[in-house]
Amino acid sequence: MDGSFPDSKGDKTMVVKCEDVWPEISNYFEGDLDPALKLAMEEHFAHCAHCSSVRDGMRNVIGLYGDKAMFPLPVGFYPRLHDRLADQVEGRKISRRDWLVSVGVTGALAASAICAAALDRFVPRPLSEMSQPARRLPERLVAIVDGGKKFHVPGCPFMHGKYHMVTPEEAVREGYTPCTRCMRDALRSAGNVTPDFEGEERASSATLEE
Amino acid sequence: MQNRDQSEAELTLAPRSDPGHEHEAALIGRIQSGERELFYELIRPYERRVFVIAFTILRNEADAEDAAQDAFLKAFKYLAQFRSESRFSTWLIQVAINEARLRQRKSHLEIMRPIVDQENEDGTYTPRDFTDWREIPSEALERKEIREKLVEALGSLAQKYREVFVLRDVEHMSIEDTALALGISAGAVKTRLLRARLMLRDLLSPGLEGVWTGHSQIPKGTKPWS
Repeated sequence: MDGSFPDSKGDKTMVVKCEDVWPEISNYFEGDLDPALKLAMEEHFAHCAHCSSVRDGMRNVIGLYGDKAMFPLPVGFYPRLHDRLADQVEGRKISRRDWLVSVGVTGALAASAICAAALDRFVPRPLSEMSQPARRLPERLVAIVDGGKKFHVPGCPFMHGKYHMVTPEEAVREGYTPCTRCMRDALRSAGNVTPDFEGEERASSATLEE
Repeated sequence: MQNRDQSEAELTLAPRSDPGHEHEAALIGRIQSGERELFYELIRPYERRVFVIAFTILRNEADAEDAAQDAFLKAFKYLAQFRSESRFSTWLIQVAINEARLRQRKSHLEIMRPIVDQENEDGTYTPRDFTDWREIPSEALERKEIREKLVEALGSLAQKYREVFVLRDVEHMSIEDTALALGISAGAVKTRLLRARLMLRDLLSPGLEGVWTGHSQIPKGTKPWS
């Protein structure tokens, strides 16, 4: 289409044809045109359906593709990008979140160790058998002469022959009876003289056992 | 024909700017001094841009995401080589373009060149004359299938046109920065931008009831502008 039209003032200062408009139409949108050329093109658009449709179509293209909605980022783009960058950007250091987690775990472990150490001070740990203090021997063992029926304080003058030592409880449990002579004094000094002992003492007072 | 009475201001694209150069230079200095975590702040305005340019070249979302990640990693690794007299965004886009092209070569994607790749950009271009031109409203972008058709139309252009168009019209970089990022002259950017815009206009002008909802009206293997 011929673009040889007068401008709006009736002056034919500059006349453009379609072939002149098309190469410049992109610059028209860039605002990069000589004012006279721009005016001439606008006069041309007013009369040329083809060129005005090119102009309007190009404006539509620029508007559509320039809209941010045109190229949406993939879902999860940012987290994936930052995960990928974290190792490089933050060096070999762990991320802030991982750092907080590791600090928490370390603190918990340290607190547990401190508590365990404190408890250990107040709760005695069982020792090995060899480290146990020696059991306290009974304050007094009694002597049983082989074949006899009584038990005696070691060194009792009424003992004769071989003997072995047992606890008083064992001697009583096995049916032995205390020597009325030697054992009386010993039991009295301990406050353990029983009426039976006294009766038995009477029954055998003059009898030498062995 | 619509909107003829739109003001001149509306017809003319507003100047486009990047974030403050000085602020970025200060950030880069601090990163190089050891505050490495500021790198996240430095790249935040460009995360989407890097992905989009990678997607434009690779035409595959997963590959584009991988390429974008690699580009950011390389940018961090070689940040010391960045010269502060240029814009960080331009340098970063160069890194992203190189990364995407490298990945493209490795995957032999260049074999699948669109037919318009062979187009001579110096030749004259005659826009198609649509008597029934219909505008595609921006609200249509809410529909995924519409966006996919638009991406498909862009993908049908030769890579050299796609790159220029995306940097200028999608990411709103200046003509000069686009030229720097692509390593071409500002004149070449303008020429390719004109061609890309005209081709997309021709592909889109039949409207949503045309090529977008049915089979393409353009016979396969032919050029709609010839």
